[in-house]
Amino acid sequence: MKKLISIILAGMAILAISACTKTDNYDGPNASFQGNIISTAGGNLPTSSGSTQIKLQQIGWTSPQTIPSKFDGTFEDTKLFKGGYRVIPTGGAFWPIYDTITVNIAQGTKHDFTVTPYIVIKNFTATLTGTTLNLTYDIDAPIVAGLPTIKDTQPYVNTTKLVGAGASIRDFSDVNAVTINKDFIDMSASEKSRTLTVPNLIPGRTFFVRVGVRLSDSYNSSNFSDIIEIDVPK
Amino acid sequence: MKSIHKLIIAISLTAGVSITSCQKLNVPPKNIFTSDVIFNSQAGIQSFLATLYQDLPIEDFKYLPSSADGSGSGGGYGFLHGGNDWTEFFNEAGAIGEEVGPWSGFNIGGGFGFWPYGDIRNVNIMIAELPKHTTQLTQTGVDALLGEAHFLRAYYYFGMAKRYGGVPIITVPQDPGAPLATLQVHRDKEQAVWDFIGAELDLGYKMMPATSDAGRANKYVAAALKSRAMLYAACVAKYGSANFVDGEARSSGFAGIPASAATGYFQAAYDAAKLLDGVYSLYNATPGDKVQNYVDLFLKPGSPENIFIKQYSKANNTAHSWDATMSPRYFTADALSRSYPTLDLVQLWGNLQVTNSDGTPKRFDNRADIQQGLEPRLLATIYFPGATLRGLTFDMQRGIYPSFSGTAAAEVAKQPNSRSYILSGDTKTLYQGKQVIGFTGPWTGGDELTRTGFYVRKYVDYNRVQATVGLNSSVQPWIDLRYAEVLLNRAEAAVELGNTGDALADINLIRDRAGATLYGSIDLTKVRNERRMELAFENQYYWDIKRWRTADQVLDKAHFKGLMPYYVFDENKYIFLAEPELFNREYTFSKQSYYEPIPGGEISKNPNLLPNNPGY
Repeated sequence: MKKLISIILAGMAILAISACTKTDNYDGPNASFQGNIISTAGGNLPTSSGSTQIKLQQIGWTSPQTIPSKFDGTFEDTKLFKGGYRVIPTGGAFWPIYDTITVNIAQGTKHDFTVTPYIVIKNFTATLTGTTLNLTYDIDAPIVAGLPTIKDTQPYVNTTKLVGAGASIRDFSDVNAVTINKDFIDMSASEKSRTLTVPNLIPGRTFFVRVGVRLSDSYNSSNFSDIIEIDVPK
Repeated sequence: MKSIHKLIIAISLTAGVSITSCQKLNVPPKNIFTSDVIFNSQAGIQSFLATLYQDLPIEDFKYLPSSADGSGSGGGYGFLHGGNDWTEFFNEAGAIGEEVGPWSGFNIGGGFGFWPYGDIRNVNIMIAELPKHTTQLTQTGVDALLGEAHFLRAYYYFGMAKRYGGVPIITVPQDPGAPLATLQVHRDKEQAVWDFIGAELDLGYKMMPATSDAGRANKYVAAALKSRAMLYAACVAKYGSANFVDGEARSSGFAGIPASAATGYFQAAYDAAKLLDGVYSLYNATPGDKVQNYVDLFLKPGSPENIFIKQYSKANNTAHSWDATMSPRYFTADALSRSYPTLDLVQLWGNLQVTNSDGTPKRFDNRADIQQGLEPRLLATIYFPGATLRGLTFDMQRGIYPSFSGTAAAEVAKQPNSRSYILSGDTKTLYQGKQVIGFTGPWTGGDELTRTGFYVRKYVDYNRVQATVGLNSSVQPWIDLRYAEVLLNRAEAAVELGNTGDALADINLIRDRAGATLYGSIDLTKVRNERRMELAFENQYYWDIKRWRTADQVLDKAHFKGLMPYYVFDENKYIFLAEPELFNREYTFSKQSYYEPIPGGEISKNPNLLPNNPGY
């Protein structure tokens, strides 16, 4: 009996050793693609979650994939298959780009895209009075003709640096939105210089604040300001 | 010598066996139905048609519009016809604010990859085969069946056109052995697909007889469907050319129709609807009790309003679960409810009188008094507090205020923790001997009880005994096409064409039956609102806001409301507060969702389906 078991075990061991000799000779997804989405108004395009993304389509394949932009206007994907891709930035509050460019993506490939934002938010200031936050900013449009209607503007308040649409505290953010529903060309100078108020912030907490202007383009996308850190005293 | 004999015998035996065995095997296989078996008799054709009818994209009780949110846990998604499809609350209404329910927001835009070319192939085989069987079926019989086939084909293409826009039009059975290049067909333009649907339904109208068995089409079913389809096409042309997402599929005509085509489609919708004039009528068996009349319209067999119905049967394992999933277990044998009508829908009928002129909540002696003065159709569509079902009362109560002062608006604006109400997670909890929440909710502790203060009443079979109201036991038919919809299609097309006189007459027919006050004049907004009220929960409104291209404005970070009843303890009265619904969901429709993406799996099989719709 013991002999039989040892024979079986030996047999299994031989099988186990000899079974898996084939190796995968295809490259893994070891290519990467990274870069900046640069605004023609200077610096990177400030973005938020669920909006601006880089769309890639590997040549010879049918389904596109996307790399979402980070909040600072950079993007990075380190798990791509090596090869030729057609790439284009899409989904954000900038004048649409229709011409894809072809990039050969390998390890460490870098590429910067340049886009023209619909709206640029300038002179953003945040002043705290007690627990009420006053936000002032000016809105400007690099290209006015054909600009989509401006829907509304609102503050975004969150407890982390990741603040924007889809990453904000509703009672401080969406609730304080102001409807505009006007074309930029019809807005007076005073309407372009805006103030928003966020009342009843919680004392003793740190908040990160930015403002956004939303347009009725294909994606109902928003242009964003920089992010300001606010410490509410106890 | 003997061995030679043996050898000769052996050789001749072998030769004999092998010569005689070489007959060709030419016996028809018993396990495959050949076209003769199917198409030589009405019985064979009926069994062939049964599958084609069952697979029709009819958005019925069981229709589950998306694979998002794990909705398929009950057994798949899309058009369901199994024996255990109990997820009726994952409905279209619950993703767009007619109701709120288990969808976490508007997340049905991606659909579920509807791609019925298998069924279309079967229709194409039928159309190719039938003319060969005139001796057995007679020429009249063949013509009627061909008309039915054209109707079925149109229905399948309509299901795709409203989702994807332009799709390949395939009218003959493809040969699987043909070269790949001929099998990988291109998309046709959206306009060509709608024109094809219109032409197919014209053929159906021309070739089918005027009457049919329940559940099967006749010429008027084709006309009714045409009024629905052409109205969709007209709106895509008119409103889709103003509100769209740009992209290659749009500029190539695969997603979008030139605005100039709108009038023609509106006219086609109007003409098709007019064909039903005098053939069908609105159900009005008990005009003396308009609430009961409207309730029965969805339950009584043989209603003159029913144009095309889908039937269910327990014996065939196709029963649905509407009764068990629209009401809480308080009224049923098992299961639970998860989607509830919103106050926003109720307010289409006008604001409820729950607030005094000074802003304080009106005090009610009895919860049921809220129903006073409401339109019968509204009461027959939605269960209000105080309504009864199977001998039990809808006793919705969100909580108790020991005392209440101030205005309704000020109270609702407060943070929940600074409100002085008493809530409970359990119907057994008492406050000074008084039950805190109703047996029927509302509460937020789990599924099962309302989160808006309302329940669906339309289609709920009040005649059934509570103990029998379980899952997979409801057999009331789904009315896919009813005359009220045809009147609404006709009225909408008429207003768009400037014929307000016709529209006013159509709408007043509906309002009269509903127990509403008649209109003296009509406009597009009134027609559209009438449609929402009359066809609530009938899986129409989603496609309406898509074709009107208003979905991105209606569902723009939208939050919906409920009506919460409270008991004020020191006054012994009830008050109603309009508050955010208790799921507290947000609904946003992105513009790309006016078209669904062509399913990725199909594109991998056939790259010629590219370009995909804009934004995908």
